[in-house]
Amino acid sequence: MERRREALVGLVVMLGVAVGVVGTIWLQGGLRRDMRELRAASQNVGQLVAGAAVRFRGVSVGHVDAVNVAPDGEAVLVHLSVEPDLVLPADAAVLLAPESMFGDWQAEILSRADFELFSFLDYPEEGVLPAAALPDFSRLTATADQIARRLTTISERFEVAFTEETALNLKNAIDNIGAVSDGLSEIITQQAARFEDLSEGVNASAAELGAAARQARLSFERVDSIIANTQVEGMLGDAGATMSNLRELTESMNASLGDLRSAAQRADTTFARLDELLAAAESGDGSLGRLLGDPTLAEGATEAVQELRALLADIQENPRRYLSFSIF
Amino acid sequence: MTNWLLGAFAFVGNRTVSGLQGMGRAWGLFLGATASIRNVDVWLPHLLPQMARVGVASVPIALFIATFTGIVMSLQASYTLTGAIPVYFVGTLVGKTMILELGPVLTALTLAGRVGANISAELGTMRVTEQVDALETLAYDPLAYLVVPRVFAAVFMFPIVVLLAIGIGIASGWFTALQLLDMSSPEFVKGLRLFFEPWDVWFAVIKSVSFGAVVTGVGCYFGLQTERGAEGVGRSATRTVVVASMLILCLDAFWATVLL
Amino acid sequence: MSIYLTEVRKAFGPKEVLKGFSMSIEDGETAAIVGPSGIGKSVLLKHVVGLLRPDAGSVVVDGVSVPELDRKGLHRLRRRIGYVFQFAALFDSMSIAENVGMGLRRIPGWDRRRIEDRVEDCLSLVELAGMGDRYPAELSGGQRKRAGLARAIAPEPKFLLYDEPTTGLDPVTTSAIDRLILRMRDELGVTGLVVTHDMTSAFRVADRITLLHDGRARFSGTPAEVKAASDPVLKGFVEGDPDLYYRDGWRREGMHAGGQDHGA
Repeated sequence: MERRREALVGLVVMLGVAVGVVGTIWLQGGLRRDMRELRAASQNVGQLVAGAAVRFRGVSVGHVDAVNVAPDGEAVLVHLSVEPDLVLPADAAVLLAPESMFGDWQAEILSRADFELFSFLDYPEEGVLPAAALPDFSRLTATADQIARRLTTISERFEVAFTEETALNLKNAIDNIGAVSDGLSEIITQQAARFEDLSEGVNASAAELGAAARQARLSFERVDSIIANTQVEGMLGDAGATMSNLRELTESMNASLGDLRSAAQRADTTFARLDELLAAAESGDGSLGRLLGDPTLAEGATEAVQELRALLADIQENPRRYLSFSIF
Repeated sequence: MTNWLLGAFAFVGNRTVSGLQGMGRAWGLFLGATASIRNVDVWLPHLLPQMARVGVASVPIALFIATFTGIVMSLQASYTLTGAIPVYFVGTLVGKTMILELGPVLTALTLAGRVGANISAELGTMRVTEQVDALETLAYDPLAYLVVPRVFAAVFMFPIVVLLAIGIGIASGWFTALQLLDMSSPEFVKGLRLFFEPWDVWFAVIKSVSFGAVVTGVGCYFGLQTERGAEGVGRSATRTVVVASMLILCLDAFWATVLL
Repeated sequence: MSIYLTEVRKAFGPKEVLKGFSMSIEDGETAAIVGPSGIGKSVLLKHVVGLLRPDAGSVVVDGVSVPELDRKGLHRLRRRIGYVFQFAALFDSMSIAENVGMGLRRIPGWDRRRIEDRVEDCLSLVELAGMGDRYPAELSGGQRKRAGLARAIAPEPKFLLYDEPTTGLDPVTTSAIDRLILRMRDELGVTGLVVTHDMTSAFRVADRITLLHDGRARFSGTPAEVKAASDPVLKGFVEGDPDLYYRDGWRREGMHAGGQDHGA
């Protein structure tokens, strides 16, 4: 009798403790095996916090252990725990990016060669992977806005000669870019509306994007009025580079990328390049006149716009393919 | 008019004094019981039987309640979360509420009736039939003999019962989600894990420890205060359930403020 | 080994139960306190064992002042006192043998065998031999009372306090209990204090009888003196004559000992 009672109490106690312990471990996502420690250094880490997921080729392979500023204060060191048997690419780099539009950030291990455009930070220490943090939407729109403002100043400051034909072509191209970015922002708005109460931030950023595009178009129109009665001449050196960037944007959107995030990454890089170019022009490198005067520019732009338009049509048709928003 | 006013004041004064007296007595009981903990030889032999009575015997009712709570939580969560909110949130809701609130509090409220009233009636009967006095005359410290093993047993066993209840509640919620809501296991588990923190479990354990102490403590207090025969025993049991339930909810709010 | 109560006063709220009660019980003597139900006899008994503290006055047992004892001192004193409760107050959850052994388990140096032997002895002394495995609920009122007595005498106390030992028992059981009380005095030299309203029993067991009346000792004397006394209150009580007992205007109203006097 006494023994039976003891056994019963013991059983219940063990069951309860087992439920508590095993349940906790299970809910935490399983026992953590001996993980491999990785370190990565980045200029900044955005919203990345300890506990965030580490992904490799889209598979969750670990988590972020800690995030702290490097001793010299020049970088942020991210400590990662990943599965021990994970085979990393030779030129492994870490991209820190939002996991989803509203959720946590993640650290993605990737091959640096595939993502040359990002400015990965090379930390002067053995075994520290280069890392880069992706700008989020607000930063994209801020960049767009910056470009628009630069364009305005430049168009006010420079009175450059254009041939009428080049100017018209360019104008069309610019209009089309405006249309594309309008369309893009419209899609984002549509998508965002589905999550309206949860996603005022997205709405706002989409609206910002649209506003930036409109502003850009406004300033282009001003350029347009300037060139209407002016002669155009001059040649361009950097036009090729700009064109290839624009084409790269459209190609990458078309080809490999499965979601808006990647498209946005490319867009950001392109914006950044454009911005640099404009900044250089503004600082008096004197290439803008040539840039605008080059007939190949307009042709290239038109070509790019066609590709963009095709992409846009595809996005509209299959928004899920590009805009796989997962809120959580 | 003056009479009426006098009466009102007297009523308030009377209630204040008796309330303070009750608090003083409860404090006295607490101090006495705390001091009695050192009489280990008196209470230790009774700890295991009390653990069986307070803990093991409460498991079926606790699990019964947890099962239905889980089912209802699951159904109501799916009813509430429609449209834009992903369906796996059912898992989140069931898990979080079971661990943080319903597991500990519902179990404690049930056990306030089952254990608290039981202790109160038992000690009340012992009091009115002079068994408590008999203990004293046999040189036993009634607090060490009666109160300490019961409170300790509850402090140990309440978390155990609560953990089991949480487990069963989540399991029944899960089962419901699979059978009635056309969710898949991975979805439910995703939601379950989404906002889970190990601290939640500690929170539940801390809460249940305090609830165990309150339920048995209140039961012992009113039991030992019992006067006037069978009617008094009934009154003590009722008071125990009422006061213990109130204290459980107050403590619940207290812990939520302090620990979350 | 004597009990002295001097000017003991005790009130429960506004109800004064004891208003300066004094009496003394000498070593080896068995005294009886008599009086109607609810007059505070049990209250008095609880003062002796320290379950209640007097508001005023002194209670001295075996040379120590009971109200001044701390818990440890009380426990030491109580090991020398056996208390027979009115309704036996047996622990429902324990067998009779466990009940009787309760006090023994607190004595250092007593092993299981010794306790079992002593329990068996005590049970045969109260004629309950072989009933040790039963539970209180399975016993009759008389058997329970005897089991309570066995529990009280088991640790071989020097004092035995009986709270209404014969109340509610048939005459045969009553005299059996009375005989046990006398045996305790004669064979073990126990100092006894019996609280009762059963005059027959009191006359049988007591060396001295004290009438508790209106919170004080109204009369104290040997059974013979009680029988011979002319005090109307005493006479009224002994003869069971309410007209005589209540004659001097004293009323029972308001004299209940309150919730503490469960025996009443």
